[in-house]
Amino acid sequence: MLDFINPYYLQIGSFILINILLAVSVYVPLSSGQLSLGSAGFMGVGAYTSALLTINFDLPIMVGVVGGACVAGILGIIIGIPSLRLTGVYLAIATLGLGEVIRVIFVNWDSVTKGSIGLTGIPQIGRELLNLVRGFGFEPSMIGLKNNQFVFLMVFLLLFIIVMATIWFVVRQQNSRVGRSFSSIQMDEKAAESMGINITYFKVLSFAQGAFLAGLAGSLFAHVMGYISPSDFSYHRAVEILIFTVFGGSEVIIGSIFGAIFLTLIPEVLRFVSEYRYIIYGIMLVILMAVRPQGILDIHLLSRVKGLKRSKGGMR
Amino acid sequence: MLLEQLINGLTLGSIYAIVALGFTLVFGVLGIINMAHGEIFMVGAFVGVMTTGVLGWPLWLAFIASIVVTGILGYLLERMTLRPLRGKKGVSHLAPLISTIGVSILLENLSHHIFGAGNKPFRTEFAEISIEIGSVSIYIVQIVIFVISIVLMIGLSVWLSKTKAGKALRATAENLETASILGVNTKKIITLTVIIASAMGGIAGILVGMAFNSVSPQMGLAIGLKGLAIIILGGMGNVKGAMVGGLILGLSETFLVAYGDSGYRDAIAFIMIIFILLLRPQGIFGSKIAEGR
Amino acid sequence: MKVLRKASLFFSVLMLLLLTACSGESTGNEGSTTEQTDEKISAKFGVISYLTGAGAAYGEAITQGLKLAQSEINENGEVNIELVIEDSAGEAEQALSASQKLMSDDSTLAIIGPTLSTEFFAVAPEADLNGITIMGTSTTAEGIPEIGDYVFRNAIPEALAIPTAMEKAIERTGAKKVAMIYGNDDVLTQSGFDTMKKTAEEMGLEILTIETFQKGQSDYNAQLTKIKNTNPDLILASALYNEGAVIMDQARKMGIEVPFVGGNGFNSPQVIEIAGDAANGLIVATPWFGESDEQKVVEFNEKYEAAYGKRPDQFAAQAYDALYIYADALKRAGEADRELFHEALAETKDFEGLLGNFSFDEIGDVVMDVKVVEIKDGKFIEFE
Repeated sequence: MLDFINPYYLQIGSFILINILLAVSVYVPLSSGQLSLGSAGFMGVGAYTSALLTINFDLPIMVGVVGGACVAGILGIIIGIPSLRLTGVYLAIATLGLGEVIRVIFVNWDSVTKGSIGLTGIPQIGRELLNLVRGFGFEPSMIGLKNNQFVFLMVFLLLFIIVMATIWFVVRQQNSRVGRSFSSIQMDEKAAESMGINITYFKVLSFAQGAFLAGLAGSLFAHVMGYISPSDFSYHRAVEILIFTVFGGSEVIIGSIFGAIFLTLIPEVLRFVSEYRYIIYGIMLVILMAVRPQGILDIHLLSRVKGLKRSKGGMR
Repeated sequence: MLLEQLINGLTLGSIYAIVALGFTLVFGVLGIINMAHGEIFMVGAFVGVMTTGVLGWPLWLAFIASIVVTGILGYLLERMTLRPLRGKKGVSHLAPLISTIGVSILLENLSHHIFGAGNKPFRTEFAEISIEIGSVSIYIVQIVIFVISIVLMIGLSVWLSKTKAGKALRATAENLETASILGVNTKKIITLTVIIASAMGGIAGILVGMAFNSVSPQMGLAIGLKGLAIIILGGMGNVKGAMVGGLILGLSETFLVAYGDSGYRDAIAFIMIIFILLLRPQGIFGSKIAEGR
Repeated sequence: MKVLRKASLFFSVLMLLLLTACSGESTGNEGSTTEQTDEKISAKFGVISYLTGAGAAYGEAITQGLKLAQSEINENGEVNIELVIEDSAGEAEQALSASQKLMSDDSTLAIIGPTLSTEFFAVAPEADLNGITIMGTSTTAEGIPEIGDYVFRNAIPEALAIPTAMEKAIERTGAKKVAMIYGNDDVLTQSGFDTMKKTAEEMGLEILTIETFQKGQSDYNAQLTKIKNTNPDLILASALYNEGAVIMDQARKMGIEVPFVGGNGFNSPQVIEIAGDAANGLIVATPWFGESDEQKVVEFNEKYEAAYGKRPDQFAAQAYDALYIYADALKRAGEADRELFHEALAETKDFEGLLGNFSFDEIGDVVMDVKVVEIKDGKFIEFE
């Protein structure tokens, strides 16, 4: 019984959820017209902050995670203000560069980050939760689960709740004054400004939200993996995150979610052709852009899917 | 020491500059950042390794082979990935970026399968010749690289400003529709641009192979990212900017190692562009801010 | 326009179908278990290896070494070994997923790999928690066997190899001033550098300069020019062979003629392939001496070259030995039981492998003699 609670599937599930957060962290700035490739860097900032807080100061994981996300968010504000002058590909490359600079700092700041050796022994969410419920006299075997099944299930559920809350927030925000300001800035910045929208405020807001979400994802990543090193936050990660959003469809939030799920699963599914999977991955991207450059999911497609149009109106 | 490091910096900088010229040409005409350029450069280097090492061809033939192969790659890149996106409605400026990233992933992993993951030596007699000046030995290759980069830059500038094809190219860069109304075969011009840019990548590939005696499937990414930084530094789509930007980066990386902390070498390119973007977003030689294409 | 929309809808549905079909398939694979033959002990070992990406050369050598050992062991007939090889692409995340996949299959007896220490640090605690034996064949960084009871390695740690090489090199050359160069964005080379620096300080050597380089770099001239101007007697280079060979090539071209002392990752016949004559003067300590005229080494070289068309390096040799060590433990365990296997493996003592006499110490680290070798006239020879 309960064999379907397989740690492997749950592990993949947890990575999918973290990747959804990362994809959304690209999507939010993009919804106000800003393409940020700095997610990997912000993710690293979140991960290192949280890991260092919990390792060095014995703080609870929750404090670490919130701390990591906030530090990344604040950095987002600091970077976001001067970056206002940049648009399009300029912003993309500047943020990509920022990510690289952050990674190089992790590598070189030996005394704190242990350089490329990375941080080991980061407290893991699952085990902490297990200890917590044991404190209440609960044992996983009571509901017929093995210890590691329970651990992975708890991690998955916790991440699921966090991701759901994030998506709920982003969708709500989109239907509010803030979201409409974002999309008007995306459409035409000058027109939006002449309508009295405070461009500076909203652009920095969306950029910082993206940084916050990436930091959140990063700190969760650190506590799921239990080990981080600078190579986890390299150029490859930045590109991967961007592709989640663009592949799934950058116009709608559901696109980011779909992209993160699909592209996290693909390498696992393609394991049987593991030698060729990156080749397939590359070809797939080229074909997709030629056939559906707006990504798999877009507004038209969504409005054609029956019922979705009105009942979840404004899911864009 | 200073003289030696100066030579090191100029050699590295010239290579960066040639790579950046390829980036800047494509961006200037198409407004696209060709993320696959680094990998095309890498393929060019491998063609050099294969033709000289395995087939035993002379160096000049290897150059031609490399230019031909990368030129064909450029043609395929334009035909299969860039053209389908052009003029289509609803295509965001992200699409070519992603599409070329796809090509770069494909090329890196393909060459990885074909050539193996490790470094391949690039052996030519030519790369062994050096002249001694005092205690400093300068390799002929280093001089050749510097000269080729200058020649390419001047040749490209002259070609762009003086020849008919170059004028057509600039017209296309200025405004695609107007140019085609004025009778410019824009399709042909764009294809030509991508082919030339790719072939320059091929030349740079062989030069790197000769200068550093190391060619690996991963080298495309490392140098590609630097090239990207350089075109921002020098001004997007600006030929002179690419050249100067490349030299500045090569020299500053070398001098950072010589007199500072070599650990930050990979960061300096991006620290420089972050500053330049904040102080002078159009780059050193850029004349106006290109609206985010 | 309508047609286009329909097409796009169709396309997306197709993708979804593909997705479900694929995931269905992978569940199908999950169900298959090892066949139990009557007389022989059969076991399934999971292998996590770096098969795609920048460092795939290492993973390739490792899996080839394993496969060669597997075919020999199975031919021998005492035990029957099945290998399930998963790719990690050199990423800790994917290595962790791969390990969960292997571990959740109850018929997986033990795990070999992952290739990189960064991956190993993420995977090993999980394996240890689940009570599954895991052994690294290429993970030489500090602190690996200390992760837990079930964690082993047969790769000789840098802390064993580097000091031996340095002592012998300095004994002969009488060097007093050294320059150092290392890759600072890689665990292996960083860890090797830490050991080198510590040893150099203990030996009272004067460190003239410390230079770093990064992955994927092809120009080392700036660092080497700086080193050249400090006039060292010896260069300590903690680099993987890929970068290391290129560094030596550029150094010799520049006129640096002093010997290099490298870490374990620097030891490969590929160094000679890549750097040619420039490789002369490299001194490394290694369990693996490919030019040895010992019978078993010669045979291994021949078989490997026949199977894969190139000479084996230490990664292949260590992986080859690792599977033999596993097979030996399996024989002593008597059945494919995770707990019995773990106990049997921990007791491994005086195992005569390709690399020589091998034992585990109490925490699962390597006890063996290391040889010091150098490259002279384009060949590895034993260092005297």
